[in-house]
Amino acid sequence: MSAIIEIKNITKEFKVLNRREGLKGSLKDLFSRDYKIVRAVDNISMTIEQGEIVGYLGPNGAGKSTTIKMMTGVLEPTSGEILVDGNIPYQNRTKNAQKIGVVFGQRSQLWWALPLVESFKLLRDIYQIPGKDYEEMLALYRSLVDIEPLLHKPVRQMSLGQRTLSDILAAFLHNPKIVFLDEPTIGLDVSMKAKIRTLIHALNQEKHTTVILTTHDMGDVDALCRRIVIIDKGKMLYDNDIEHLKRFFGSYRTLKIRVAGDLSEQADKIQKEVPECSVSADEEWISVLVDEDKAGVMEVLGKLQKTHRIRDMQLEEISTEEVIKKIYEEGVK
Amino acid sequence: MRTKKYLTLTRAGILEALQFRLSFLVMVIGNLLYLIVVYYLWKAIYASAGTEVVNGMTFTDTLIYLVLATALFNFMEMYTVWEIGRNIQSGKIVLDLLKPMDYRKYLFWSYSGSFVTQFFLTFLPTFIAVSVVTHGAVPLRMNLLYFVISVVMAVSINYSIDFIVGTICLYTESIWGINIMKQVIVLLLSGATIPLAFFPETLKTVMYYLPFQSIYNAPLSILLNGNPQPRTVLVTLGTQFAWCIAMFVLSKLFWKVSLRQITVNGG
Repeated sequence: MSAIIEIKNITKEFKVLNRREGLKGSLKDLFSRDYKIVRAVDNISMTIEQGEIVGYLGPNGAGKSTTIKMMTGVLEPTSGEILVDGNIPYQNRTKNAQKIGVVFGQRSQLWWALPLVESFKLLRDIYQIPGKDYEEMLALYRSLVDIEPLLHKPVRQMSLGQRTLSDILAAFLHNPKIVFLDEPTIGLDVSMKAKIRTLIHALNQEKHTTVILTTHDMGDVDALCRRIVIIDKGKMLYDNDIEHLKRFFGSYRTLKIRVAGDLSEQADKIQKEVPECSVSADEEWISVLVDEDKAGVMEVLGKLQKTHRIRDMQLEEISTEEVIKKIYEEGVK
Repeated sequence: MRTKKYLTLTRAGILEALQFRLSFLVMVIGNLLYLIVVYYLWKAIYASAGTEVVNGMTFTDTLIYLVLATALFNFMEMYTVWEIGRNIQSGKIVLDLLKPMDYRKYLFWSYSGSFVTQFFLTFLPTFIAVSVVTHGAVPLRMNLLYFVISVVMAVSINYSIDFIVGTICLYTESIWGINIMKQVIVLLLSGATIPLAFFPETLKTVMYYLPFQSIYNAPLSILLNGNPQPRTVLVTLGTQFAWCIAMFVLSKLFWKVSLRQITVNGG
């Protein structure tokens, strides 16, 4: 194993105009020199090995995309060093581009009006992929997903899921060393998400491609990443394997139930029945926070079912946001 | 192998253009309407002038010039500024920057496909129609060869100017006003809307020192002059060539400097 990305103490600052309110303020802004410095990324270091899948997490505006843009060479760090496969990305952007692939969940790099196969051919020529490698890659794709129906479909007629799938295939086409996936499963249904996770996993295994994955979906992280990096407000909060993180949010799940009668009264009753969980009630639901290390959700549910008529139930995972909040509050060593 | 990298983009451009059959029809109708307006406008101008020849051009001369200018416009206008501006605003520019290719070249070659289609679908038919209707008022001699050389350089100058204006969008992050301004300036000062002969002397002199006349006036004057002095052709092409190089260098440098300033939206 060798390091493919090395980041040392990078910081990125943006100059943003201080905008004033109202029409008068907007007119003043035209001549304003009043800038403030926003630090989007603050002193981040990490080393990523060839073949790793790293989950890069953080709330919106945490600085994830900025870091990725620095790794791809679109942005230059204000200070610090980045090496991607031995290159400084912003100095050798074109050379770096040959070695990386990108998918931005909300945008497509495919040619909108053309069938997918034409986009593939274009990418083959642009990245100067030798014919044999291209054919091999297509054969690999065929073995992983059912691409035949997609190949001759214009991209603009594709569903979001098909388009995302195609974009991911396009990003891997020139067999890059690193692929950046920025929220690849955003807005997709459950089965498409699963399909895309399987595909990413298979391509990573097959080609030993390093994958940097940003997402808000803990399902993606669970399915793909061994290691996760969390940042918030530009600062690194956590960089370790996922097992370690589980200690923080780990095994907590929220079981929400709806029963007959006054909810807060019932909640008190339930609390006595399952003392190992903490129970609370709002207007609609009784929430039972279950620590799965102590008792399984099914166990708790079974217990409650005997004593209450449960009309409706929901099971909630702790979201990324909550995990990060928890980490933020408790601190990570 | 290297040229294939670029030609593949031309090919895609042609394919893309051919996907939208209806837009051709709409464009042809639009041009027709514009030309009808032009016809009656200049007819009125000549009628009020009371003479056959105004500023050295007859009504037919003027009309031929303007019809061909319109055809040339359809084929040369690449809407690069819109494209760059839109890409900056949507953030798609990041994806284009991450192609293993210089952005300036990437954009040019992405558009080159529309040159090819527009040339065959609008310019050539218009040219043939004009030649037939005017019974050979357009000379068909060596001037055609000079014209081709001239158009190639005009395309390059036009692209460089567009690219410079597009680069300005990196700073302003808005496109509309800048683009309209650019379009008005280029179309007026290049002689695309009014032949250069109709401008007052001093303005004409100024215009000859600007790059814009090399885009429309130069190729058209070469095309419409059947027996040019070798010197005239040489001066016209030479001027174009000089602007070609100058604008190329300028746009490349400006882009290089600006790229360092880039702050891509969102993130």
